[in-house]
Amino acid sequence: MEHKVISRENLGKWLDTITREYDLIAPTLDDDVVLFKEVKSAARVLLDYNNTVLPAKDHFFPQTETVFRFKASAGQLAIEPEPPLARPRVLFGVRPCDLKSITLLDHVFDGDFQDGQYLDKRARTVLVGLGCNSPQPTCFCGSFGIEPGSSPAADLFFTEMEGGYLVNIQSEKGKEALQKGWSFFADPDAGQVKEASERAANAKKALKLSVDPKGVKEELDHFFESPYWDEISPKCLTCGICTYICPTCHCFDINDTSGQAGERFRCWDSCMFTDFTRMAGGHNPRPTKKERVRQRFLHKLRYFPDRYKEYACVGCGRCLQKCPVHMDITQIISDVKGGKLQNAAK
Amino acid sequence: MRSLFKPETAVIKGIKAQTPDTATYTLAFADAKKQSDYSFRPGQFNMLTILGIGEAPISISSPVDERLTFDHTIRRVGNLTKAMSSLQEGDTVGIRGPYGNGWPVEEMRGKNILLIAGGIGLAPLRPVIQQVARHRRDFGSLEILYGARTPADGMFSDEYAGWRGVSDTKLWLTVDQVPDGNRWDHDVGLVTDLVEDRMESKPQNTVVVMCGPEIMMKFVVKALLARGFKPGQIYVSLERRMECGVAKCGHCQMGPIYVCKDGPVFNYAEIKDLPEEVL
Repeated sequence: MEHKVISRENLGKWLDTITREYDLIAPTLDDDVVLFKEVKSAARVLLDYNNTVLPAKDHFFPQTETVFRFKASAGQLAIEPEPPLARPRVLFGVRPCDLKSITLLDHVFDGDFQDGQYLDKRARTVLVGLGCNSPQPTCFCGSFGIEPGSSPAADLFFTEMEGGYLVNIQSEKGKEALQKGWSFFADPDAGQVKEASERAANAKKALKLSVDPKGVKEELDHFFESPYWDEISPKCLTCGICTYICPTCHCFDINDTSGQAGERFRCWDSCMFTDFTRMAGGHNPRPTKKERVRQRFLHKLRYFPDRYKEYACVGCGRCLQKCPVHMDITQIISDVKGGKLQNAAK
Repeated sequence: MRSLFKPETAVIKGIKAQTPDTATYTLAFADAKKQSDYSFRPGQFNMLTILGIGEAPISISSPVDERLTFDHTIRRVGNLTKAMSSLQEGDTVGIRGPYGNGWPVEEMRGKNILLIAGGIGLAPLRPVIQQVARHRRDFGSLEILYGARTPADGMFSDEYAGWRGVSDTKLWLTVDQVPDGNRWDHDVGLVTDLVEDRMESKPQNTVVVMCGPEIMMKFVVKALLARGFKPGQIYVSLERRMECGVAKCGHCQMGPIYVCKDGPVFNYAEIKDLPEEVL
């Protein structure tokens, strides 16, 4: 793999340089909240942060996005599809957990029915990863085979070192973005490559939270019905925050603004909500919290692996941090592994 | 950039009332080439759009070899279907599709067909009846069991005589109740009663195709299994809330299955042990 190094100072210069040709999206700090936002200047980019409140998925599968605009008209429907991105984008500073989650979303939005809006954003975005040096107590990416210090899903991967960053060039698309400010980068010496790999190894060691999902899907295959779901579901508030901050949750609604002219938009939906499965006639196949809580965890740990051969959890820990009642997917995985569903069923 | 969700314009060519709350809309794409290129399998559905209201999945209720138009039989139950009922001939709607798998017509060839429907569930099965009628020698006997709430709620009632006229075809009708003053020369009771009291079909060499309320299908399946039918010879069409129609939005998930793309038609053997609130 090709490596480069860049100083902290030059990183800002490179980011400013690429804004001439790319829209730059990076972690920002506003009102104490860290989010990926479009920035016009590198000065806005937050380099020292743990993770963003919302995952990077928002920039491929936005919380709300226009599908097309329409006007009332006699005869042909007057529909104006959303244009593709005007400029390519650089999404800077994505953590390995979120990088992995994007490849999981690719399973959903690519495939037999290709979702043009998602895939356009995906194809025209340079994913720049940023390794974690100090994982948080809620981080458990390693449990899903994700390294906090590297990611094959990125076009460019940055590892922080003394005074700067080591850059792994992982795709042509990434290299092209780098070349917009090629002079800001230098060739690393052997010591720098070694330092970066040590940092990555240390980050992995620093992961404190760990579960073993091996065999969880197979176990869950047998425990759709278990009193366990009755036990864990009452405390859930069905607020849906877990689904909104989850980097792999991808359920959505398609709605129209009302009136003679407006837009059809898609927005995130949540399987935690009562109406999620309610049909026009009023029948609701998942009428209570129990079915909805069960659905969320079975989707992550059983149905998604059934369909796409991978678990739909990347161990980012956001749901552990944000759930108001401390619903804990690592505890659920441990319970499954510990035979708790089986015991509950007896 | 190709939009997965952009509907094509279709014009309402005709509207025929079926019951007090249901009508069949005959549609054709405004673009003649789109219409001539459009084909579907019996049992598939379209996402139907009224701009400013939204979209809903609606099964196609016309025969597959009718290429100039296609039908949607729509009951007023939700926002879109209510808005639909205020449209007139010449008005336009949006259509994207067809989606879903459809009935197993190839497997049905040469076999006897037992067709069981309740209420609006007859709509996605009408193309099967029409295909058998038009290609009679390709199929064995056809027996239809159909139940509605009242005599006035029976779909396609002006076509029953024609269906009875198709050789080697039987049609049994039942209603839940007959309001005072209504004339009704058929059975009163559940579709399950038709299975028990009227049905002549035997399990041998028969394919069962069924669509109706899940509670009806649940009990009919039980009755069929008790009569020696095997789960593998029963096909059911299911309904779930859908937004995208293409296995992405998540609403129609039923265990690992997406009803929109993996169904809506399922072999009962494949779903009977499915861990979801179904049948």
